[in-house]
Amino acid sequence: MSFFRSSLIRGLIGLVLGWIAGSVLTIIIRVLVGLPAWKEEPVLVGGAIVGTITFMLSTGVMNDWLQWMRGLETPGPGFNQPELTGVRKLMNVSYDHKVIGIQYGITSLVLLLTAGLFGLIFRTELAEPGLQFLTADQFNSLISLHGIVNIGGILLGVGAMSNFLVPLMIGANDMAFPRLNAFAYWINIPGIVMLLTTLLLGGVDAGWTGYPPLSANLGKVAFSMFFLGVYVIGLSSILGALNVITTTLRMRAPGMSLFRMPIFVWSALATALIALTVTQLIGLSFQMVLFERVFAMDFFNPAEGGNVLLFQHLFWFYSHPAVYVFVLTGLGVISELLPVFARKPLFGYKFVAMSSMAIALIGFLVWAHHMFTSGMASYLRVPFTYTTLLVAVPTGVKFFSWIATLWRGKISFQTPMLYVLGAISIFLLGGLSGPPNATVATDLHLHDTYYIVGHFHATMFGGYIFPFIAAIYYWFPKMTGRMYSERLGKISFWFILLGFYVQSLSQMQIGLLGMRRRIADYDPALGITTQQIMITIAAFAIGFGVLVFITNIIRSMRRGEVAVANPWRSRSPEWTLLPSPIPAHNYETPIEVVGEPYDYGLEGSVYARKQAPPTVTPASGPLPAPAPAD
Amino acid sequence: MNTGKKQVERVRILIASSHPLFAEGLRSLLVKRREPEASVVGIVSTIEEAIAALRTLNPDLIIVDYDDDRVNRDEFLARFVEGEGRLRVVLLSLKEGGSEAIVYDRRSMAASQIEDWLETWGGSETITHEISIPVEESLPRSEVSKRRDNMRHFIAAGLVVIGLMVLLILGNQRIALLPIAASRQAVPIDNLFRLQFMVIIFLFSLIVGLMIYSVIFFRRKAGDETDGPHIEGSSTLEVAWTIVPLGIVLAIAVIGSQALGRTLAADPKPLRVNVIGSQWAWRFEYPELGILSTEMILPVDKQALLILSSTDVIHSFWVPEFRVKQDALPGDAFERQLRITPDEVGEYKLRCAELCGRQHYSMESPVKVLSQEEFDAWVQANAPPPPGSEGEGANPPVGRGDKLTQQFACRSCHSVDGSALVGPTWKGLYGTEEQLANGTAILVDDAYLYESIRDPGVKITAGFQDLMPHTIAKDMTDEQIADVIEFIKSVK
Repeated sequence: MSFFRSSLIRGLIGLVLGWIAGSVLTIIIRVLVGLPAWKEEPVLVGGAIVGTITFMLSTGVMNDWLQWMRGLETPGPGFNQPELTGVRKLMNVSYDHKVIGIQYGITSLVLLLTAGLFGLIFRTELAEPGLQFLTADQFNSLISLHGIVNIGGILLGVGAMSNFLVPLMIGANDMAFPRLNAFAYWINIPGIVMLLTTLLLGGVDAGWTGYPPLSANLGKVAFSMFFLGVYVIGLSSILGALNVITTTLRMRAPGMSLFRMPIFVWSALATALIALTVTQLIGLSFQMVLFERVFAMDFFNPAEGGNVLLFQHLFWFYSHPAVYVFVLTGLGVISELLPVFARKPLFGYKFVAMSSMAIALIGFLVWAHHMFTSGMASYLRVPFTYTTLLVAVPTGVKFFSWIATLWRGKISFQTPMLYVLGAISIFLLGGLSGPPNATVATDLHLHDTYYIVGHFHATMFGGYIFPFIAAIYYWFPKMTGRMYSERLGKISFWFILLGFYVQSLSQMQIGLLGMRRRIADYDPALGITTQQIMITIAAFAIGFGVLVFITNIIRSMRRGEVAVANPWRSRSPEWTLLPSPIPAHNYETPIEVVGEPYDYGLEGSVYARKQAPPTVTPASGPLPAPAPAD
Repeated sequence: MNTGKKQVERVRILIASSHPLFAEGLRSLLVKRREPEASVVGIVSTIEEAIAALRTLNPDLIIVDYDDDRVNRDEFLARFVEGEGRLRVVLLSLKEGGSEAIVYDRRSMAASQIEDWLETWGGSETITHEISIPVEESLPRSEVSKRRDNMRHFIAAGLVVIGLMVLLILGNQRIALLPIAASRQAVPIDNLFRLQFMVIIFLFSLIVGLMIYSVIFFRRKAGDETDGPHIEGSSTLEVAWTIVPLGIVLAIAVIGSQALGRTLAADPKPLRVNVIGSQWAWRFEYPELGILSTEMILPVDKQALLILSSTDVIHSFWVPEFRVKQDALPGDAFERQLRITPDEVGEYKLRCAELCGRQHYSMESPVKVLSQEEFDAWVQANAPPPPGSEGEGANPPVGRGDKLTQQFACRSCHSVDGSALVGPTWKGLYGTEEQLANGTAILVDDAYLYESIRDPGVKITAGFQDLMPHTIAKDMTDEQIADVIEFIKSVK
């Protein structure tokens, strides 16, 4: 199939044509309603909405559903064309959860690299006081996009890991809803396009949090694209979560009770429960600002009776649990990999599983700790101190369980394990920097400073990025059939880890000393210029480490040593019962679970095995002996 | 050990090499040493033959010549890994320095079965180099000696933790972490910070110390392919490490809430200061004193009650040395209070702490804490002169206009010396003909100036952009605007 007939290109062409059609439609509606025909922002929004719809139709991901709507069957493999390989396969719609998982993963890495690049640009600007090469507007746009593109990248990466791993780990041959799975992936693309158009439309300068009234500024039309883009990416999150929950609850292999699932599936389930229920709130809050901009519905305009605090409550009600969506999957990867590399059972498996659920639950109750200085009711801040500090308890259970898993183990240090150990220490640093933010009195000093920036970068990196890289390295042989280079893996690890420690500690220090966040330039009298230079250098070190990681992956895909089926001697079914790479429909023979997932060190124990073929006895009794030949 | 070990069937071996010496030599060796358990079912010399033989001969083991190009091992392995049946591949190298036989096995087995499997192929020095496994201690370890070992590990790890703690505490003392404390509100806040830093150091040292210890002393020994002890969990530990952290966080929450209460303590007679944020400057009104100022002047040791508000977007009031922070919100119903009792004379800076647009980074104002006498002197000097008195100066409206254009931040965008900033300069502006961005020209008179202040976006001067905040004059009365116009007229 030629490049130009791939789903991606067809979709993008459909997006452009639909955008134009939608714009024309909006103009017509405006004229019919009696408004002046042309106003940039409503026409842009109308175009974008129709463009999203035509994108999805043009990719072909909805074809089967459209057939069913017409009452027709859809026999045949649909979009699982086996003759496509490599990049071609990834540019086309596939219903195979493994392909979708890799599509999510690669798109995620592209977004993370883009956002990282933005970070390096403004970090260069910040190394010295004074505005050297960015204007303040450019700076504000870059930090806003750095935030939102990274968040999109993380959400897609969570989708990558959940989609790729959950069916394999529970012994299923695909997700519960393969077509919905494909739809949830592809709808991210128009969202990403919309986010990137903000760069061409003058930028968005209100931070990734987009607080009105600043984000309701009608002079900056790019905000509409910002809000719509996030809205659409959020939709993907919700649909993907639905799929993960249904698959986990309904498609486990026989013998796999909930407490016999690999621990990663527990964290994927907890993550999906959050994403399914709460993503709507960022959609709602952004939609309300969009309506304020386009329809003059003054939700947050105080001159017309609006309330800016309302936005913050609605926004943070999603955006706090969102960070648990980001990190719970990563923490699940840590729990999953530690037993394999320590050759010991996961300590207190049931408690670790329940801790993911507890974090998810408590995570719904803490949102206003982002609003301690916002002007919310003063006394109401105190309960949020209690709930925020409470999250530390199940998180602590995880940390202690991890240490107990390592204790007396037989630890080996291949690259995935290095990243897991790095993740634990960085996430610890980020998590421990949390309590001063949780208590209101200290947060009054810390809010909107670089201390917060240090806190969330450490928790995001430790809880998501490091485990994500560990997962890519770990499952690389299973995905591709080849091994990555250990040497490059170790080099990339040390650059990223050491760079990250320098960056986090410096950020936290300068925040305490008075460095605010989201500022294009800072007062040299603060005396923090040395730390700023150190942070910039550290950022480049991290960037270099990431580059080495990407190089490793790309080179090893083609030229890596051919891998055995189970290089890690893991007990998980995708390692013990599937070759590398995995065949299209996973388990040709269904599997069953006859033991515990983490019984390392228990002689002769088996976790999962292929089901024995059934022996058939006809209902009428044994067959008669064949008649003697005449 | 014997679970899962099956009756060893006759193993069918295929040899893949185009070197007759290798192939024949290997075959005769295998026949001599391994009959009748194993038999060589075929010898192939190219990759095509090898792939075909996989199907037709169905071997259990293939020994591939590592160095033979005609039997392209990489391609062979790539095909091999795509299949599904049980099969083993051993790559042998006869070259110098080849000290390994590489084994690819396409089947699954439990960890404990690997030893068995490897044992069936050990023992021959010329064909395969042994992959040796250290023999595990066959004598069972007594419970006492195990517990004694564990105790020693705990003590040693505890020392690592304590060492790390000491290092971090020393570092914490040496590195500056907070600006000087210049308000009474800072006292409970800094105490809380110090307590939290100690808890953070303790917990970080505990976890990382144990990790460092484990990473050094619980490494897998080279060649040891066995698993670690089968320890699944401990209810005691689970309860302990839930209850104790719960106690710690509750204690911190209680102490933290008390600290918050102390920062909110209200003086019965504070000094009222209205703090108004606009894009992108602060102004300060002292309603009891009738003073407007672009600098925040406060008397030491007296509580100031700040009434915070904004004329446009959300700003935030923060002086790092005072610690406490509060957002300034737009909307008449959204004034918010902040109480500050400065207790150190000095000069500080107020820095806007909520992203508010382009100049957010430079939205800073001087804050001066004066002794009571100096403050009284300042009040005297700045109180508005009674109308009609000498204090009004030669041209009272111009004098008032001069002050107003500073207080309302006009001068951050309009210069009086001719330089072009964000907006047109006022020097020599009044009475001239101004070119507008839409191509027309207009006379700069009182009406034009009034409209430009009340409705900034309607007429844009050529060469400039629509950047003047539309709400900048929201709080200005018509009299004040008249004074501003008089001032602009006076700038020649």
